[in-house]
Amino acid sequence: MSEKGGTVNKLFAAGAMTLAVALALSACSSGTPSGGQSSAPASGGKQKVSFLVFPSPNLPESYWKAQVDLVTKANPDLEVELVAAPSESERNDYAKQLAASGQLPDVQIGMQDLIALEPSLATWTPGELKDFLCPTCGAVNGKVLQLPTNTQTIPNVYYSKKLFQKAGIAEPPKTYADLLADAEKLKATGITPFVSGGVFVTSQPWTAILATDLYAKTPDWMTKRRNGEVKFATDPAMKAATQKFTDLAAKGYLDKRQIGQDYPKTQEAFLGGKGAMYPMGSWFAAAADASDMKDDIGVFAWPGDDGSLHMPTFTGGGLSVSATAKNMAAAKKFALAFQLTKANLDASVKADALFPAIKGYTPPPDTGPVFKAVYDLWQKAQNEKATVPAFSWEAGDTAMLPGMQGKFWSTAQDLVSGKKTVDQALAFLDTEWEKSG
Amino acid sequence: MRSTVPWLRPLVALVVGGVFFIPLYIALINVFKESRQVASGAMSLPIPPTFDNLIRVLTSPDSLFWSSLRTSVLVTSLSIVILTLLSAMLGHYLARQNTWWSRVIMVLLLCGLMIPPQVILIPITQVLKALGLMSTLQGLVLFNVGYYVPFGVFVFSGFMKGVPRELEEAAAIDGATRWQTFWKIVFPLLRPATASVLIFLGVWIWNDFLNPLIIYGPREGTTIMTGIYKSLGQYAADFGGMFALMFLATLPILVFYLLLQKQFVKGLTGGATKG
Amino acid sequence: MAAGTTIHHHKSGHAQARARRRRSGGKRAGLWHFLSFAAPGTLIYFCLVVLPITLSFGYSLTDQALLRPKTHFVGLRNYELLLRDDTFLQSLRVTTILTLIVVIVPNVLGVAIAVLLDRRGWLYNALRSVFFTPMVISSVVISVIWTRILADDGPINQALRALGVSEPPGWLSDPDIALYSLSSIVCWQMLGFCVVVYLAGLQGVPQELAEAAAIDGAGPVRRFWSVTWPLLAPALTINTVVLLISAFKIFDHVKVITNGGPGTGTTASVALVILNEGFVENRTGYASAEAVVMLIVIALLCVITLRVLQRREVQL
Repeated sequence: MSEKGGTVNKLFAAGAMTLAVALALSACSSGTPSGGQSSAPASGGKQKVSFLVFPSPNLPESYWKAQVDLVTKANPDLEVELVAAPSESERNDYAKQLAASGQLPDVQIGMQDLIALEPSLATWTPGELKDFLCPTCGAVNGKVLQLPTNTQTIPNVYYSKKLFQKAGIAEPPKTYADLLADAEKLKATGITPFVSGGVFVTSQPWTAILATDLYAKTPDWMTKRRNGEVKFATDPAMKAATQKFTDLAAKGYLDKRQIGQDYPKTQEAFLGGKGAMYPMGSWFAAAADASDMKDDIGVFAWPGDDGSLHMPTFTGGGLSVSATAKNMAAAKKFALAFQLTKANLDASVKADALFPAIKGYTPPPDTGPVFKAVYDLWQKAQNEKATVPAFSWEAGDTAMLPGMQGKFWSTAQDLVSGKKTVDQALAFLDTEWEKSG
Repeated sequence: MRSTVPWLRPLVALVVGGVFFIPLYIALINVFKESRQVASGAMSLPIPPTFDNLIRVLTSPDSLFWSSLRTSVLVTSLSIVILTLLSAMLGHYLARQNTWWSRVIMVLLLCGLMIPPQVILIPITQVLKALGLMSTLQGLVLFNVGYYVPFGVFVFSGFMKGVPRELEEAAAIDGATRWQTFWKIVFPLLRPATASVLIFLGVWIWNDFLNPLIIYGPREGTTIMTGIYKSLGQYAADFGGMFALMFLATLPILVFYLLLQKQFVKGLTGGATKG
Repeated sequence: MAAGTTIHHHKSGHAQARARRRRSGGKRAGLWHFLSFAAPGTLIYFCLVVLPITLSFGYSLTDQALLRPKTHFVGLRNYELLLRDDTFLQSLRVTTILTLIVVIVPNVLGVAIAVLLDRRGWLYNALRSVFFTPMVISSVVISVIWTRILADDGPINQALRALGVSEPPGWLSDPDIALYSLSSIVCWQMLGFCVVVYLAGLQGVPQELAEAAAIDGAGPVRRFWSVTWPLLAPALTINTVVLLISAFKIFDHVKVITNGGPGTGTTASVALVILNEGFVENRTGYASAEAVVMLIVIALLCVITLRVLQRREVQL
């Protein structure tokens, strides 16, 4: 022990030094304000606003910086500090953890669990919402907490024209029977009909079937469920739709081996030709247009039995402001400027294929072919008044109870993998619903 | 076995070690590959090796690596030095006292080791908020000290068993105070235990990513592992960059371990292995 | 960790300690001793761990929801609900399976590898470091590495396809396999710890004993079971308790690798379920009740294991 003592003594000396340095440093750092809320006016009369964003492959940190710069250039009195959430899928949990520990940034983007966050968020007034197409979309207890900035259609069916041709399919299916027949042809040719994947991806066909078979007839189904007027397990339409979804897997049109792969992998799989159809939200158009495959990708709406159009849509996903923001006026000013600047909206169209739900907005002319197709499909549905809510993606008072969205998604995986029967799955959702309520 | 086939043991050891090492090998070579190559042949050697990934991480405009490295070094070194001092004293006290309340303290310490901190994170943030230390470096250090003090106490008090009590009694008779006796006579004898406490706590605190995420807060910067955790989404398509960042983040703590490793085994097992 | 050994010590030193307390000047000195040596650590520990646990226990008797201002006292209702909650019971099952695997596999492999490496020389030193390295690496890094390796088109499946397996298993995507893949990753990371502790134990085995047994004509296997293994009893205790605690409170790996999936709760550990309950579903009161149950279960497990293994140590 004694001969090794030398190194350890040196180590202690080093340790003592680090301690001294560290103490000195922390003394320095404690001189700067370090509390939870940091919206104190900065030097030069600038108003400081902190902004919670989520970097993703589609939306890297540089994208957010550029977006914010557009706003601060037009509003030089604002100074914006970016706060990054760990990931797209975790931004909600992270925001709630921050809110619970009193550290919620002044402005947030894309919060989903508005019911839980309600006490922490400021309400928007009708005056502030005058430029939005659907000013009350996503309201919680009648209060609008989030600027309803974008519409998304969830899902569209993207398909590979080349693979369709290879299977001898001349045009996209018009009815659900056509869809099944095409899937059978693809399978017979040795092509996986539907690309599937983890997290929410597996549930996309289910959401599509629920749009054509459930929401088309009962648009307020979720409200009824919240009032206890219907249940998952006892509602015949819900049961039939779920059975249809399960049959897709049973017939081998969905590959149950894909349900564990992450979202980027899934996207890669479709773009790599590993399946013919990809039921996915409108945001996929951005990645599709950025790929080599963009001219090979076609889009159609998931067909119902009679072939009529029912497009599942969701409007919301914009900015919200913390109720405890030190400088509420600046935070709201920034949020509105961020959402209404045309250049900003154009960038969100290009990077994330969002459809801005702002009065008088038209997307820039230089968007890619897939975005155009998806956007036209939505416009068509708008004009025909054929939009329905997107199941599990609703917001505010018409949304599922907190935590149910994730349960719905994982139940879709259980159905595809055969872990649960239709009855078991629906009973499970009811049980979980009661727990949440 | 040793006498009959002398090369068998090293060979078997080498093969077993080699198989065990494969995952680390894959991670390591990916640091020196372009992202394209990473996606294709995962096992092949990076020929020619590229340093682009490392350079990109080290020179990225947000200087995520450098700023979070500084935070991590500061948090880790402060925490483990304070922890070593406090838990050595507490461990000594508990090992040498035998009152009912010192036993209660011991049991309560044991309980603390068993609960994952994430589970009690909300009340922890409430306490830190009450102390005015939420989202500060001092608050994070205080949390580390509180949460890891049981481990330090167990290692030190276990090791104390091998330290003869007579030494302290002799010093007391010579008129030394308890304080002097502990720091001048006992503590130097606890070196192996100190080394293992430093290593284990250094590793754990350095590698913690979920607690700093909340306790250190969103604005003051991040520790290095929290930085990695927060970059996972962004680096999803850039394997090379991600592996380079992970490699650089692991390097300091690996070196720290290799420097101290000779001492720590003895300290960890303390008197226990002597039967 | 070494708590058990400390307790033995208390008993032996009891009389002496009393004698010494008397010598060093009564109550006031005792108080000063406590304040200077024990109070700082204890105080911080109480504020940052005991107090939060106590607060959690208090919350567990309420219907507290995250961020919601109003909270009501509900007595033991959360605990009643718990016993019928499939999600929580499923997480207990998952955690038990994982814990069993993680307690057994690294222990068994650890002994074998420690015996293999119990020689002097640079090769064995280097290999010891190799085995310990995963312990030093962050679980988030380990998780990312293994997620890549076990991906459906990752190196393992590439190798299997090259060997002619047309449909290699979905290590992390097949709900029937994912839990075992996850457990294996944790085993791999913890193995080095077991090896190092067993190696330390082996160095405490007197060479003469083994040689004497060899002269008596005992083969290497007999020698191991009759001489070496009994002397490794304290190392077994340390490893088992450490593995038990680490496995039962596992969170990081699950969070990064599978996040509880694929499907509903196939790999969701207790800690993950508690966090989801608290933060995703906003039921902090209920989540606190789960945390209290978790603490009780793991404390019981530890006490029983320690008792059994220490009794065994004494008998051997």
